[in-house]
Amino acid sequence: MLKNYLKVAFRNLWRNKIFSSINIIGLATGICCFILIALYVTDELSYDRFNVNAENIYRVDADINFGGNALKLAVSSDPMGATLKKDYPQVQEYTRIYASEGSKLIKKGNEYIDEDKIAYADSTLFNVFTLPALEGDTKTALNEPNTIVISETAAKKYFGTIHATGKTLEVEMKPYKVTAVIKDIPHNSHFHFDFLLSMKNVAYGFGNFLSHNFHTYILLKPGTDYKVFEKNFDQVIEKYIFPQAKQFMQIASMDEFRSAGNKLEYHLMPLLDIHLHSARWPELDTNSNIQYVYIFSAVALFILLIACINFMNLSTARSASRAKEVGIRKVLGTERKNLIRQFLTESTVMAVISLFIAVMAAWLVLPLFNNISAKSLSLGSILNGPVMLLLIALPVFVGLVAGSYPAFFLSGFKPIVVLKGKINTGFKKSSLRSALVVFQFFTSIVLIIGTVVIYKQLNYIQTTNLGFNRDQVLIINAAGALNNENSDAFKNEVLKMPGIISGTISSYLPVASSRTDNTYSKDAVMDAKNALSMQTWVVDYDYIKTMGMQIVKGRNFSKDFGTDSSGIILNEAAVKVLGYVDPIGKKIYSSFQDGSNNPLSLKTYTIVGVVKDFHYESLRQNIYPLSLRLGHNSGNVSFKVSTKNLQELVKIVEAKWKIIAPGMPFSYRFMDEAFDNIYRAEGRIGKVAVIFSMLAILIACLGLFGLVTYMTEQRTKEIGVRKVLGASVPNLVVMLSKDFLKLVFIAAVIAFPVAWWAMRSWLQDFAYRISIEWWFFLLAATIALVIALATVCFKAIKAAMANPVQSLRTE
Amino acid sequence: MIKITELEKIYRTEEVETVALNKLSFEVRDGEFVAVMGPSGCGKSTLLNILGLLDDPDAGSFLFNGIEVAHFNERKRADLRKHNIGFVFQSFNLIDELTVFENVELPLIYTGVKSAERKKRVEAVLDKVQIMHRRNHYPQQLSGGQQQRVAVARAVVNNPKLILADEPTGNLDSSNGNEVMQMLTDLNEQGTTIIMVTHSEHDSRYSHRIIRMLDGQTVTENILV
Repeated sequence: MLKNYLKVAFRNLWRNKIFSSINIIGLATGICCFILIALYVTDELSYDRFNVNAENIYRVDADINFGGNALKLAVSSDPMGATLKKDYPQVQEYTRIYASEGSKLIKKGNEYIDEDKIAYADSTLFNVFTLPALEGDTKTALNEPNTIVISETAAKKYFGTIHATGKTLEVEMKPYKVTAVIKDIPHNSHFHFDFLLSMKNVAYGFGNFLSHNFHTYILLKPGTDYKVFEKNFDQVIEKYIFPQAKQFMQIASMDEFRSAGNKLEYHLMPLLDIHLHSARWPELDTNSNIQYVYIFSAVALFILLIACINFMNLSTARSASRAKEVGIRKVLGTERKNLIRQFLTESTVMAVISLFIAVMAAWLVLPLFNNISAKSLSLGSILNGPVMLLLIALPVFVGLVAGSYPAFFLSGFKPIVVLKGKINTGFKKSSLRSALVVFQFFTSIVLIIGTVVIYKQLNYIQTTNLGFNRDQVLIINAAGALNNENSDAFKNEVLKMPGIISGTISSYLPVASSRTDNTYSKDAVMDAKNALSMQTWVVDYDYIKTMGMQIVKGRNFSKDFGTDSSGIILNEAAVKVLGYVDPIGKKIYSSFQDGSNNPLSLKTYTIVGVVKDFHYESLRQNIYPLSLRLGHNSGNVSFKVSTKNLQELVKIVEAKWKIIAPGMPFSYRFMDEAFDNIYRAEGRIGKVAVIFSMLAILIACLGLFGLVTYMTEQRTKEIGVRKVLGASVPNLVVMLSKDFLKLVFIAAVIAFPVAWWAMRSWLQDFAYRISIEWWFFLLAATIALVIALATVCFKAIKAAMANPVQSLRTE
Repeated sequence: MIKITELEKIYRTEEVETVALNKLSFEVRDGEFVAVMGPSGCGKSTLLNILGLLDDPDAGSFLFNGIEVAHFNERKRADLRKHNIGFVFQSFNLIDELTVFENVELPLIYTGVKSAERKKRVEAVLDKVQIMHRRNHYPQQLSGGQQQRVAVARAVVNNPKLILADEPTGNLDSSNGNEVMQMLTDLNEQGTTIIMVTHSEHDSRYSHRIIRMLDGQTVTENILV
């Protein structure tokens, strides 16, 4: 019997090819999107869970408001971890990562490769995190100076084998002994390093509670409530931090420090929250945002819901046209239960076909999706999860529900009534149908507005005036390779070449690079009220010119003024915090000096100029106070160039380099690329969002098409009568469209506030953001309207053009 | 009023070719009441559709008030139709979602009559077919006879010169049927030309002339008056 049902079901699908394909394609697209998003979201939620102790690992974060600067740090001071372990038995272990130095050059054969997945770490890293070794003993691997632990990938890259233990790797011209090879860190980790150097090699004034530069993780004993544990930080501050703070700042107590409007707080960030909830500075890798998980989950559910509703609508719509078939079957003696089974089999078969197509499609587009989203997802990862169960259950459920209307409704009628075509299918003017159409358009309009806002915001980030010019700036990474004279010689040699406009020597760049915060004061006395904490960048005379920054008051550093070594240029944000209307010539004082160990001696700087605020962090953050000081910092040599043939230029520059610094590694990057790196993750998410929005809209259109088809079929007779009575084609199209347009209008009215609210909260994360314009809404409503009109008109014109004789004969 | 000459209509499906009208010729003068009779499938309905400008012939000539309309396009046909022809169907073909008043009003809307004028004319015609008291009811709430009276009212509200009736009493009992036939006769006496397709010998006696058809051709013409 089942065989017969299946045979008839397939035959029916085949006979109504267009209807069946719309229905199957719609549902398949919906399920496919759902699979992809489910993979994406599952992956986002899986971060750091591979660590056996994941539930008990916490990062020590600091919130510092000091001297006009509000810092939300992901780093802590170097003695913090050890102090916590010593004083509090709840702390089972601690470990630190020091990643402030950025990328390093590693020698492979005769070439140098710029590796950025590199950091210094304590050997306890492997006690806290689950990073299994393929070779060597990680427990002790980093205890000695000049040791390095590398990943499987790094081992293969540099040694061609994973058996690299005992071999030597040259990092920044210095030999390190490989003491262990670990498995690659899983992609769903909040940090990714291929090279871990011994903490003993960090050149740093250890023991300083006031400088925050180390990512510090603690492993709490199971059962410890971290919220309760956080209260201990008050003791730590009093016992260890206050005595050090008192040395360089004239405060009598921490309360005095706080009452001046300052803040120093430590918090624990659960490891499992880092990837989705942490937007601090500096993160070890670009984190995602829980908002995107919410947005994508909502989009996935919406898409699936729309697809299912469409499937049911279309199946139901078609069943009405099969009323006659039901009547005949009943007259011929078919039992009701057989009819029910027949209809249920048909819709379930269709749903299951959709599932297969969806899985195939997901498998096919997954590489593309991975490419866009920069993930390495595989279908396998959801094969045994609850998502898989849902995937199988869902089509069956949809099939059963979609089939149940014709199954139970039509089969229950008296055959003679059905045969006479007198049944009212109860769907024609129902509020249910209206609600479904409103829901579809509501979803589409919200998604269109969301897409427009995301697109505009990302575009704004790419094109906004950053306060410096990032185009055509060539950065030569010269860290450690050149001494002062050599870097000057190199800069001057390159400047002689055509196509080079200017050059500057400084490692402080307004893209990801090394940073230092120094403390200044307005008066010659350093106390809690006077303090101004800001970044200090050491630059040369040509820096502002090369970076295309703008002096708004005073002047740039100049060789004509012999006193500029004690001059300082501030950004507008710093001037604002100081409260100076006319800052030029005013003095500020710094207690930190390069290389000095006497924190109480203050150095005086005179403000010579004010530079227009420029963005040196992500646009998600505000511009904080910053100062430029004249000096020699040979980290990078940057050139403003003016040429189309950049590759050719790089070759010539490299040739110069080889003359001045023979045997020294040459590596370079372009500033706009470095800048793009900051926003690449954001751009990817934007792209994914746009793609899914478009798919959702497509599915909604398919559904609308189905509904319009159904409605028009229902009104065939009416259309015929009206035509006979003299209605023109435009008359009829207006009549058929009017109802739908009303529904689109209602959907827009509901969608606008929802979209406004949702997008406003998304934009809230950006310190620099677009405003939501009224025309976004108009555009979305217009698009929805055009889609609705196009769909309705397509069917309506066809129906209206038909010969009325045909439609009256269907009676 | 109507003169058709050697009219042909052939229906083709993939395999079968059916000749519905085979070189049919006849004439209907102004003010005539003509009944068309014949067995099922003889081409009556096809003829009526062509006469009603709902369908076009494959060959032959069709003069309507002396104008050749056989090859009019859809728009021209519709224009001619809505000003000159009223239809009465066997199954009434009222629109379920509209009230009696609204159903009758439809042709006037499509010919662009102003609202106040429409009201006057609809009320007058509803009065004439004695259904005024049911003006706000929906078709399903009426008996078959009442529905057909509404359909007749709708057919004549525009004062057409020609009324085409397709078995107007086919779904009615004899007393309701007689009532409708009487209404058609009255209209005819007021000058409206009527062409009626029927199976009923009884109904055909109301007409002046009977055209009998078989296999798409006229077999005989009986003059009754």
